[in-house]
Formats: sequence, structure tokens, C-alpha cells
Amino acid sequence: MPDQSGAAPALIELDAVTKRFGDATAVDAISLAIPRGELCVLVGTSGCGKSTTLRMINRLIEHSSGQIRIDGQQIRDVDEQRLRRRIGYAIQSTGLFPHWTVARNIGLVPRLLRWPAARIAARVSELLALLGLDEDEFAGKYPHQLSGGQAQRVGVARALAADPEILLMDEPFGALDPITRESLQDELLRLQARLHKTIVFVTHDMDEALKLADRLVVMDTGRIVQQGSAAALLQAPANAFVESLLGGRDRGLKHAALTRVAERMRPLTDAQAGGPAVDTLGVSADDSLRQALSLMLWHGVDSLLVSDTQGQVVGSLSLQDAVVERNTRA
Amino acid sequence: MSWLRRSSAPLAWALLLVTLMLLMPRLEEGFRLIAPDARTLIYQRDSFASLVANHLLVVGVASLCAILLGMGAAILVTRPWGRDFLPLVSQLASIGQTFPPVAVLALAVPVLGFGSVPTIVALVLYGLLPIVRNTLVGIQGISPGVMESAHGMGMSGRQILWQVELPLARPVILAGIRTSVTINIATAAIGSTIGARTLGDPIIAGIVNGNTAFILQGAILIALLALCVDSLFERLQ
Amino acid sequence: MSNVTSDTCALPPAAPNPVLLVLTALAAGAIVGLPLVSVQPNRIMPGEGLTLWALGGPMALTGALMVLAGLTWLAWRPTRRALSAALTLVGLCLALLPWALVVVAAAQIEPGMSSARIGLGAGLWALLFLLLLMLLELINRLALSPLLRWGLLLGLGLSLLLALTGGGLDGLALMREYHGRRAAFHAALRYHLLLVSAVVGISLLLAAGLALAMRRWSGLRRGTFSVLSVLQTIPSLALFGLLLAPLAYLAVRFTWLGDLGVRGIGWAPALIALVAYSLLPMTRNAFVALDEVAADVTDAARGMGMSPAQVFWQVRLPLALPVMLEGIRITAVQAIGLAAVAALIGAGGLGTFIFQGLGQAAMDLVLLGALPIILIALLVDGLFSALAEQLRRAQGRGETAHA
Repeated sequence: MPDQSGAAPALIELDAVTKRFGDATAVDAISLAIPRGELCVLVGTSGCGKSTTLRMINRLIEHSSGQIRIDGQQIRDVDEQRLRRRIGYAIQSTGLFPHWTVARNIGLVPRLLRWPAARIAARVSELLALLGLDEDEFAGKYPHQLSGGQAQRVGVARALAADPEILLMDEPFGALDPITRESLQDELLRLQARLHKTIVFVTHDMDEALKLADRLVVMDTGRIVQQGSAAALLQAPANAFVESLLGGRDRGLKHAALTRVAERMRPLTDAQAGGPAVDTLGVSADDSLRQALSLMLWHGVDSLLVSDTQGQVVGSLSLQDAVVERNTRA
Repeated sequence: MSWLRRSSAPLAWALLLVTLMLLMPRLEEGFRLIAPDARTLIYQRDSFASLVANHLLVVGVASLCAILLGMGAAILVTRPWGRDFLPLVSQLASIGQTFPPVAVLALAVPVLGFGSVPTIVALVLYGLLPIVRNTLVGIQGISPGVMESAHGMGMSGRQILWQVELPLARPVILAGIRTSVTINIATAAIGSTIGARTLGDPIIAGIVNGNTAFILQGAILIALLALCVDSLFERLQ
Repeated sequence: MSNVTSDTCALPPAAPNPVLLVLTALAAGAIVGLPLVSVQPNRIMPGEGLTLWALGGPMALTGALMVLAGLTWLAWRPTRRALSAALTLVGLCLALLPWALVVVAAAQIEPGMSSARIGLGAGLWALLFLLLLMLLELINRLALSPLLRWGLLLGLGLSLLLALTGGGLDGLALMREYHGRRAAFHAALRYHLLLVSAVVGISLLLAAGLALAMRRWSGLRRGTFSVLSVLQTIPSLALFGLLLAPLAYLAVRFTWLGDLGVRGIGWAPALIALVAYSLLPMTRNAFVALDEVAADVTDAARGMGMSPAQVFWQVRLPLALPVMLEGIRITAVQAIGLAAVAALIGAGGLGTFIFQGLGQAAMDLVLLGALPIILIALLVDGLFSALAEQLRRAQGRGETAHA
């Protein structure tokens, strides 16, 4: 995970940004610096100002006071349409134009930027492939012919079309069923590992936030309550609100979900030599500690064999190892 | 008190209608400004009160028949045993509404001759359509969940009709009746061309004799009558 | 709805179709009991009604009843094939009806009797109505594609047109009236269409302006809609009457207006009143259509960096168009009917024949006005519905295909 206190200049900077609607203050003097290439998740209950914050970055909502800078330049000084064409934008209901085909929807921003037709067509094919949508099957379809997951992929493709440096995502997976949502989250992480975009992602789902975030920003009533890596937040929630948002007494399991088995297992040399395996059960080194604990609970065992991706046994994990982090490695 | 406020708009229109209806003969001087050349300034052949009453009677009888027949037909074809007729009736109701009311009125004459009765028949036939259509839309628009739970709780078909379907469809049905009555008031006025005695009489007489005063007297009273009835429905809805 | 029923009747052991059975029974009653045509020696003398028995004797009656019996048999076991056969049969009956009249006219009117005429009787109208209902029912049950439906209608229309232009129907009272005033009829038809087109065009422009203004200044909304709905409530005859006096005054006061044709009587009050009536449906549909475009779609459009003009022309307007077309359809159909009333105040058009006919108690003249008006209304209704549906389809939003 990137170092949050790194000296690299932030790509997006919010400086004492406030938004008032009439008498109500939706966002209250928040400051935030998001470095290049970071996936920053704004999380909080509904009405906490996270969506407003997001929409101020592409000026769909104008901030009342403070400064928002992208690459050092105040966004107020940039033409709003030109600004938005530089920033990808994906929302929960996808906002796909129902009267346009998938291909035309994806090509929207390049067309606004007056790319030549051939380049747009090439870019659309590239994006369909990137998001695992077969071009022959999907390019000519209309949005209502897509499943929820497919529509959301198209939404993300459209947001990525002009290869923007920044991607704003407003609860993009909020309306999907849990299984589709999980696979799209994995997809997003895979994409991000390749593309290194700077992403601001809004969600109210803490599990989603913990899974995706390089940096978590917890918001409440228009203010930032705490920010940091997922692990840091789980370790030391700033107050009761953050703690309850993190799942209160489930916090241990959430933390376990962020830890890989490989970090806790005893390598093979440490395992009791020659003894038969306690059970034929095993976990992969890449699985989360949470999955390992669940297996132990379910089968009533207190240790598991750990295998690598090739299926070779590489170590073992005991309940003790899983529960207590060893300070010193053998 | 609140009842008074609720019914104030229809009441105001009605009051204006009755006042003008009774005082029209006294406004002779006013009409002289509009039709300086006319020999008679006030329509004399019937009293305005009897024209208003007859107009209301024609519309009332026709609307009552249309409501009974229209709602009845729509209810019949939404019952399980009448469902075979549903597609045809529903299409007929929407196609029929493209027929101009005047044409329906005119076509009643060859079959039924002149007078109030053919007018009423034409009004019933035409007035049926919006009522059938809206009753169907209202009943079919009830969410399947509501109907299923009504069946599931053991309500009989009759109970479902009276306690669930009709109350839930009420606003839509009322809107249909309102449309129907509005059209009927307008068409009844034209009915005086086929011999019905209505508020259209002064207008037709005025057109024939080139007397603008007659036309205006009829027009004002019809407009007030329509507004009065319409505001009554507005309260009901 | 029609899909469900067509599915169920595709299953082999189909229950009898009660709709067709009832319609067939009624048709049999009409044929046996009601006069199909009447023969008049001239325009004034009342005609003598003739039933099918009187026209064609036992042979014709048996033949007609056999056809109906065939329909009953097909309706008893309504498989898809039986219904298709019934559709063919009903279609043939409708297509041959005008030609049957040609035969009747030739038999009943002797060559020299140029003033004798044949009136259409109650039985014929009832038969026509019932056959059309059967056609509608069969089209529904078979869930016929729009292409086939239009093809069928076109075929029937063509058959009627051929019979009418062939001269064989000139003995019909309706045709006698038409030939008596051919030029006037065509002028009235053109005028009627012109008036309706002008009304639709003008109210479309005004409504678009009003809808846009109401979107910008939401305070305008309530007031505008309540004024428009009050206008809509006032009966047409009254509104024409109310406009008459002020327009007559204006024409006297400003002679150039009178020179333009603005007078108390004539096209001016008709046009103004018809536009006033058209404004409510037109404005309501335009406003609702523009307003109901999903907020997330326009939000996404703005978020992608489209300019306000681009959002309006590329997203909001195309998505609103089908609903706006619906407004145009309602307005046009309404204006076609109301323009007929306008004939009362001297606006001309097909309504003239209706009111002339009523005045002279010449029912066939009434028909000459009323039938074209109904046909035009149906045609315009069908065309605009088809256009809106086509547009939805082109936008990938077929009526049944909502996600």
C-alpha cells in the first residue's frame, strides 16, 4: 500500500472546501490530498456529504468556499466542460443513454473531444476487450438489453474512454447483487493494477470500502472523521462512530479479511516433520485469514495446511498463529 | 366551515350561473353595445332557466347511463369469466375515442331521427368510452401484490371488487367520468342542431340570424355550466 | 395481454372463443332481421328497406348463414390454424362487401333512373361493425405483427377504393351526394386538413415555448396548467361564440384585420379556439416528456462534459420525443373533430356537409361529412401511434422491452 505521508505532490487537493445549500451545510471545511495513482474511498452513512464532495470535484456541484485543485490548478479556473471531459465519471444507475448503443455510449467523451472516427472505434473495441465484453455481441446492443453487471461494465468503460487520469465513481456497484458486485470489485482492482488511475470512489458499504481502498476517508455530517489505510482504521478507529461503521465487534473478522494467510503461516520447515497432516483440509496462501478461520470453525480443527498456487504444501497455519500476530519470525 | 371552503369554487360558479341565468333579460342595455343592429337583444324562445335545466337533464341522464353501462362493462370483462372479452373491449374503447363526438352525434340522426332522445343516445355511446377505458386502466393498474394478498386472505370475488378494486381504482374512474361529462356538456350544446333543447339553441339561433347577442348569451351560460360541473369534479377527486 | 391469450390458445385443447361466437350470432341476427339497404326513387322520398331475403332470396341468405356457420365452427376449436382461417374468411367478407353492394346496385336500379339511389341500412352498418370487431379480435388473438396488420388494412382499403372509383357504386345515395358536389367536397377536405395542420403546427410551437419556459421558471407551471385546463373545459360551441364578439369588434375597428379575413365568423375564431384547445394536451405532453427524462441520464451527460445545448439536443429531446409525439397525436385527432364543429360558425371544412345535411334532413349528406372525418381521425391516430412506436424501437426501447 502506498505511503500516505509520501512527499509525492497530490493530484487532487481539497483545501477547506465547504458546500452550503441554503442554510444547510452539506460539506464542512474538509481538506483532503489524494496522490496520483491512489484509490481513495469516501465512506459514510447516507447524507454525510460524500457524494457532494465527489460531485464538487467535477463541478457538477460548485463548492461554496475553499479551494479544489487538480494538478495544482484551481478547478474554478478551468472550463467546466473541458474539466469533466478529462475526468471519468461512473454512477450507480450507470446513466447510460437508453437511446444509444453500447458502442456509441462508450464513445461519447472521445466524440465530445472530436477524436477521428477510426480512433474512437479502435478505443471502443479496446475498452470492450478490457472489460471482458465481447465486441460482436455487445457493441450493437442497447442498455436495456444488458444485465446489471454488464451495464455497469459499460458504464466504467464509458468513464475510461478518453483515458482520463482521474476517475470519479459514485456507488457504481450499489445496485448490483452481491455476487456480481464482488466480481466487479475484483475487476476494478485488476484494472487499477494495470492502469494506475487516480480514483475517488464513494460507497456506503464498508466491506467494499475495506476491500478496495488504498486510503479510506470516513465522513460524517459533512466532516472527515478519520482517514488512513484500511488496516490503520481497523487498528485504531478514531471514535465510536468509525468503530460502529467498521462493524463494531465484527471488526476482528474484517481485519482478518484484509490479512493474507501467507503473512501468518509457519513455513514448511517449521511444521512438525513426518507427522501426518491433521486433516486433508487446506487453504491457499493467498486466501484471507478470515477464510482460514471460517474453515477451522466449520470443520472444528485448530490447524490447516497451506498450499501455494500450484497446490504444493508450503506451510501450516494454527489457530494460535491466526489469532495472535507473532512479533518475531522464527 | 371546512366543508364550505372545500365546496366554495363550485358554489361560486353555480351562484354566478344562476344569477346570470335569471338576470340576463335585465342586461339588455349591455348587449346593445355588442349587437347595435339587432331587433331583439335577448333570446326569447325559451327562458334561460328552462334551457339550463334541460341541458343538465340531457347531460345528467346520458352521463348516468354511461356510468352504469361503462363501469358495468369494464367490471364484467375484468372478472375471470368475462376475461375473454377484455382485449376487444379495451381496444374498442380506445379506438372509439378517436371518433369525433360531432360525428357520433350526426350519425345518430339517420338511425334515431331528430330530438332529445337521439342526442341522449349519442352522448351515452360516446360517453361510455372514457369511462370504460379508465375503469379498465384503474382496475388493471392495481399492483398484483395487492390482488394476490386479497385472494390469499380469503376475500371473495365480490369483496375484492367492492373493498379493494373499486376503492383503489376510484381516482382513475372519477377522472374518466369527468372527461365523459365534460365532453357530454359540450356535445349536448351541439345537440341543438339535431333538435335537442339545450343551451346551444341561442347560439345556433344567433348564428342563423346574425345576432351576436344571442350567441354570447348562450356561450356564457354554457361556459359557466361547464366550469361549475368541472370544479365539482375537482372537489370530488 | 394479447401475448398471454395467444399463448393459451396455441395449446391443443382450446376452449371455444366466446367473443367470436357472440359476434357471429349477432351478425346472423343482423342479416336475418334488419334491412341491409333501402331503395329510394329520389332524394326526398323515403326509401323502402330490403332484407337479405328480399334482395337475394333463399340462396343468398343460406350462403351468408353458411359462412357464419363456418366461422362458428372455427371459433369452437380455436387453434392457431383455425383462427388464421377465420381471419382469412372475415377479411374476405369485408373485402367483398363493397362488391356485393355493386351487385345489389346493378340489380335494384334500372339504367334510366338517374335519381334513384340506394341507402345503406341498419343491417349493413351492424354487419360492417361486427365484422370489424371480429377482425380486431382475431388480430389480437393471433398477435399479428404490425406489418401484417397494416397490410391487411391496406388490402381492405384498396378493395373499397376500387369499388368506389369503378363506378359500380354510383347508385349509392352517398355517392350521388358526392357527385353532386364533387368540387365542394374536395375543397372542404383540403380546407379541413389545412386548418388541422395549421392548428397542430401553431400549437406545437406555442407549447414547446411554454414547456421550455415552465422548465426554467417553475412558478409558471401551476398557473399555466390551470388556465389551460379551464380553457379545455369550456365547450367548443361556447368558446367559438365567446370569440365571435371580440373578433367582430376588432375587425370593425381595424380594417386591415378584416381585410386579412379576421372576422367574427370564419376561420379566425375557429383557429384561435382550436389552438386554445390544443395547448393543454400539447403542452402537458411536451413538459412531462422533457421533465421525465431520468435525472441520472442527464446527470451522467453533464458529468461526461456535455454542454447544456448538447445535453438538450442529444439526450433530453430525443428521449422526450415519443411522448411529445403522443401529444401531437391527441391534439391532431381532437382538432379533426373540433374543426367539424367550427363549420357552424362558417369556418368551412367537412363539418359543413354535416350541418347542411342536418338542416335539409338529408342523411346521406351528413354521412358525406361524418365518414371522412372519422376515417381521417382513425388514420391520423394510427399513423402517429405507429410513428411513436417506430421511434421507440429505433431508440432500442420497444414497448414491451423494458429492462
